[in-house]
Amino acid sequence: MRRALSLIVLLVLAVGLASALRGPSVGAEARRASLIDDDEVNFGRRYNSRAVEETGASNVVASVLVTYRGLDTLGEVTVLFVAATGLAALLHTGRRRRSEREATPASLIVFTGCRFLFPLILLFGAYIFAHGHLTPGGGFQGGAIIASGFLLIYLGCRGRQPESKRLSAVESLAGLAFVLIGLIGLAVGGSFLLNFLPEGSPYALLSAGIIPVVYVFIGFKVGSELGGIVGDLSGAR
Amino acid sequence: MQQGSLPLRTRVRSTAYLFVICLLVWLGLTSSLQPQEVLVGVGISVVLPLWLGPHYSQLGLPALGLKRLLFFFIYLLVLGFEVVTANLDVAYRVLHPAMPIRPGVVVIRTHLTSDIARMVLANSITLTPGTFTLDVVGDRLLIHWINVRTEDLAEASRLIGERFERYLRVIFE
Repeated sequence: MRRALSLIVLLVLAVGLASALRGPSVGAEARRASLIDDDEVNFGRRYNSRAVEETGASNVVASVLVTYRGLDTLGEVTVLFVAATGLAALLHTGRRRRSEREATPASLIVFTGCRFLFPLILLFGAYIFAHGHLTPGGGFQGGAIIASGFLLIYLGCRGRQPESKRLSAVESLAGLAFVLIGLIGLAVGGSFLLNFLPEGSPYALLSAGIIPVVYVFIGFKVGSELGGIVGDLSGAR
Repeated sequence: MQQGSLPLRTRVRSTAYLFVICLLVWLGLTSSLQPQEVLVGVGISVVLPLWLGPHYSQLGLPALGLKRLLFFFIYLLVLGFEVVTANLDVAYRVLHPAMPIRPGVVVIRTHLTSDIARMVLANSITLTPGTFTLDVVGDRLLIHWINVRTEDLAEASRLIGERFERYLRVIFE
């Protein structure tokens, strides 16, 4: 029975692959050539030419990530969340080594430098994710910078690690806020992650509707998540 | 983290410091004076110090004064001058056929007391080619020196540390 089933699955796969590899017929080729000029099909051209007026974001990449493909971004955030959760589960099954291992305190230079720099790294991360709709960067990049600040804390300021519970709370709330913004769009205009806020004038900080808002939440979420991963890997949590 | 043990004045001062530093960095990053940008910058510069200000109070930042600020800018010039001359000195040693180097590790003493002052001193020494701070333990700095001229504690402190320390004493003490 199982053998027959697997044979059927293989057959379906083979047919699918073959039809995919055979390439389009001559008629389809001509049809595609006529469609390629059509903005409704050629999305790259459409985004390039109309993204700024449609979303108000001068950074087209941000408008694609947060509005046109906002649902995919939510998926990406979920993937990151699952990865972080899996890592935490994997690392927490082992025995606790934290109490046994006496950590050598970092040198005064590292210790003082990291205390001095940590707020400024957070500020830089906040700058990156608040300006995601204007300049290259955005929530993921800003979050990664914030996580590098946490890495500095784990390296230089042993004994004053951020509490993992607070990090998890920030992460969960930010993820929740992302979904809520999507649901508000659904309630107001009938589609998930609809850009329901005013677009504002281009190149202003408060413009492009929900893009900066979503990026702020993604920044918080990615920052706390990667910070937690760094903490897990360093064995501090 | 004993936040309660620090006097209130120190905590308020360091929070204000952090506010000013954050705002300056933000203005530098955005390089714009649009009201929206400035407003958001002020917002972030208020939230961050309220959260992290207590950490800053342990750095031992001094009260801000005109003399300190003036000496800070003089210090930047002095540091730049020292870096350039030390660069030329190291270049001379590298290019000289006999390569007149005498590398070794010496210990110097500092009279600076606050953490931030010692860190600035150590980093200034590191930034100057030819000398490199390996570690700071108490009031002793462990220095790797490309051309050890003396192993005497007082003499080495005078040669390596004093040129920076006399300004840092005014700025930080």
